[in-house]
Amino acid sequence: MTSRVAGRSGRQAGFERAAALADGTAQARGRAGYGLVGPGLVYLLVFFVLPVFTLLATSLYVKPPGAEVGQFVPALEFGNYAVVLGGYWPELLRSFGFALLATVLCLVIGYPMAYLIAVRLRGRAFVQGLLLVLLIAPFFTSFVLRTQAWKQILADEGFLVQALKTLHLMPQGASLAATSVAVVAGLTYNFLPFMVLPIYANLQALDHRLLEAGRDLYGSDLTVFRTITLPISVPGVLAGTLLTFIPASGDFVNAAILGNNRNTTMIGQVIDSKFMRVLDYPGAAALSFILMVTILVLVTLYVRRFGTRDLV
Amino acid sequence: MGQLPTTTSPESIPGTDLAAPGHQPAGDRPAAGGAELVLHRVRKQFADFAAVQATDLTVPAGEFFALLGPSGCGKTTTLRMVAGLETPTAGSIRIGGRDVTSLPSYKRPVNTVFQSYALFPHMTVKENVAFGLRRRRVRDWRGRTEEFLRLVELHHLADRRPAQLSGGQQQRVALARGLVNQPEILLLDEPLGALDMKLRRQMQSELKRIQAEVGLTFIHVTHDQEEAMSMADRMAVMNKGRIEQIGRPEDLYHLPRTAFVANFLGRSNLMAGTVTRGGGGTDPLLEVNASGHRLAVHRDRAVSTTGEVLVGIRPEKIHMRPAGARLDGATADGGVNRVAGTVTDVAFTGVSTEYRVEVPGLGELGVFAQNRGEDLMRPGDAVGLAWDAAHAFGLDGRQDAAAGDGAV
Repeated sequence: MTSRVAGRSGRQAGFERAAALADGTAQARGRAGYGLVGPGLVYLLVFFVLPVFTLLATSLYVKPPGAEVGQFVPALEFGNYAVVLGGYWPELLRSFGFALLATVLCLVIGYPMAYLIAVRLRGRAFVQGLLLVLLIAPFFTSFVLRTQAWKQILADEGFLVQALKTLHLMPQGASLAATSVAVVAGLTYNFLPFMVLPIYANLQALDHRLLEAGRDLYGSDLTVFRTITLPISVPGVLAGTLLTFIPASGDFVNAAILGNNRNTTMIGQVIDSKFMRVLDYPGAAALSFILMVTILVLVTLYVRRFGTRDLV
Repeated sequence: MGQLPTTTSPESIPGTDLAAPGHQPAGDRPAAGGAELVLHRVRKQFADFAAVQATDLTVPAGEFFALLGPSGCGKTTTLRMVAGLETPTAGSIRIGGRDVTSLPSYKRPVNTVFQSYALFPHMTVKENVAFGLRRRRVRDWRGRTEEFLRLVELHHLADRRPAQLSGGQQQRVALARGLVNQPEILLLDEPLGALDMKLRRQMQSELKRIQAEVGLTFIHVTHDQEEAMSMADRMAVMNKGRIEQIGRPEDLYHLPRTAFVANFLGRSNLMAGTVTRGGGGTDPLLEVNASGHRLAVHRDRAVSTTGEVLVGIRPEKIHMRPAGARLDGATADGGVNRVAGTVTDVAFTGVSTEYRVEVPGLGELGVFAQNRGEDLMRPGDAVGLAWDAAHAFGLDGRQDAAAGDGAV
């Protein structure tokens, strides 16, 4: 076997697996494999699976008559769900709307960044490294602090708003501070690296010769991008959008710092306040559970639609 | 590995249909017979080295032309400049009389079969082959794709992904993907490099057959001299960014004009000497003194006719007999092109036996003997060597006699 062909490696791996099964070491290897995933499984069981059940149980608790604030007893009160859904569906919808907007903005801003670093600057390791460090550098300061900084950036007397007003791109009386624009801008800013990095990792592995072949076969630069680069980078985009959308829809820091308390409240803030301030544990748990299930359903539909068998 | 056809029934040969009028949709680029390629003073300078030095090259329409040379000789860069994937630093490239030097690759009537195949992994075989046709909005792209998949005998795998094919099958997809566009010139960049030896030989005759059928100009880049010689109508040997020699494979082999060609294309015994007779005159035969040995070369087979020269003889042109035995077939001329030596090494290869013979003053000479049933010589045997002056060639004595030796 002298040729190195992509298809063959997979088949070869299959052969090796078959050979391993045949010589009896596979069982030992299998046991070793379970041993290796063991700690991870135990960790997930203790810190994820069990808490999810606790959460589910808590969401069904009821407040007995005459109980103190924060005092609940176990029950199977499914009505809790109807209550919180009826009370907070606008916040829930808004959360997904904001998260979707931020995800789209991240993709629009992030894809060209990843493309620039991974494809256009290929072979120029120093510039690539520098841009990647710049991309990650904000992580060296606190999330909360960076979001606070956005408050300054979007403030009425700030440079941005002044400039936009001077250029008549914004009405004189308008303001960016404490608006949904500010919240989405903050979400976009904070989650941008989660979009760029997976796409970068994907594009970095893109075989440059495929692009040459595309141009050789009468594809203009735009056509080559549309028919080759973009479809091949779908797994990166998929990963990036999930890594952005999921945490963004549950986020509460951006809305808390950059929003107001009239029309920018996100579900994360509601859950936070129910748990920490109002001490309505069943309500908070029910909302958390609704959020989790909704995200799960949305993500499943999304991956079904865009993720292909051999790409995800 | 897919079964490769050694013969194809006439009705399955689409090459004959291709030339038929009305077959090509309107607006399609006519490509019957391919087009002539002309490189004029083409040069490519990379930051730190000259990949291709000012090169002139003309390949007539419909020719199977091979660019042969060791890795790094500039053959692939030359090909990429024709494809439009590299921009020449200077010079011009004309295809079918049209200057394409400044055209981007996607506007050139040229397609490339890449060494790595560069098949699009997210597309099926069919989609890969149809890619070029669809970009050019050829109306009958479905029919043409089907037709060319049949030509390379892969129509039954049309819906597979490249990763599900063997190396040989991928290679044929790459070939069909280029051919289907009927480019004026098809460029092949080491297209068989990733295949194993047996499959490579099969694909060579397959490629040759397809070229004859479609009648396009093929430019084939390879470092495999056997591949180049067996397939090409004409070939150029490149070295260090320059074309050393251009010609028919047999001409290049029989009459190399540089030490590099003599050594890179097959093997040669190159013996340094000084012209002693016939140098300035019109005598058809030059006599050369090489460390006391008298060697004769035809004047018209010598690059330089005076002073220091290298006399070359191919190993299979040398007759070898045990010392004292009569040597026939060699120049009767007393003592010319006759040397005595001792066998130092014997390598039996089946068809022939390769000997190394130590000749005092000339060093080790290689001698290939057909295995026609004679007894093999043994190391230490004293032998006489002789050859016909008509087989010898003369090179410039200033060249390095080892140039191209062992280059790959």
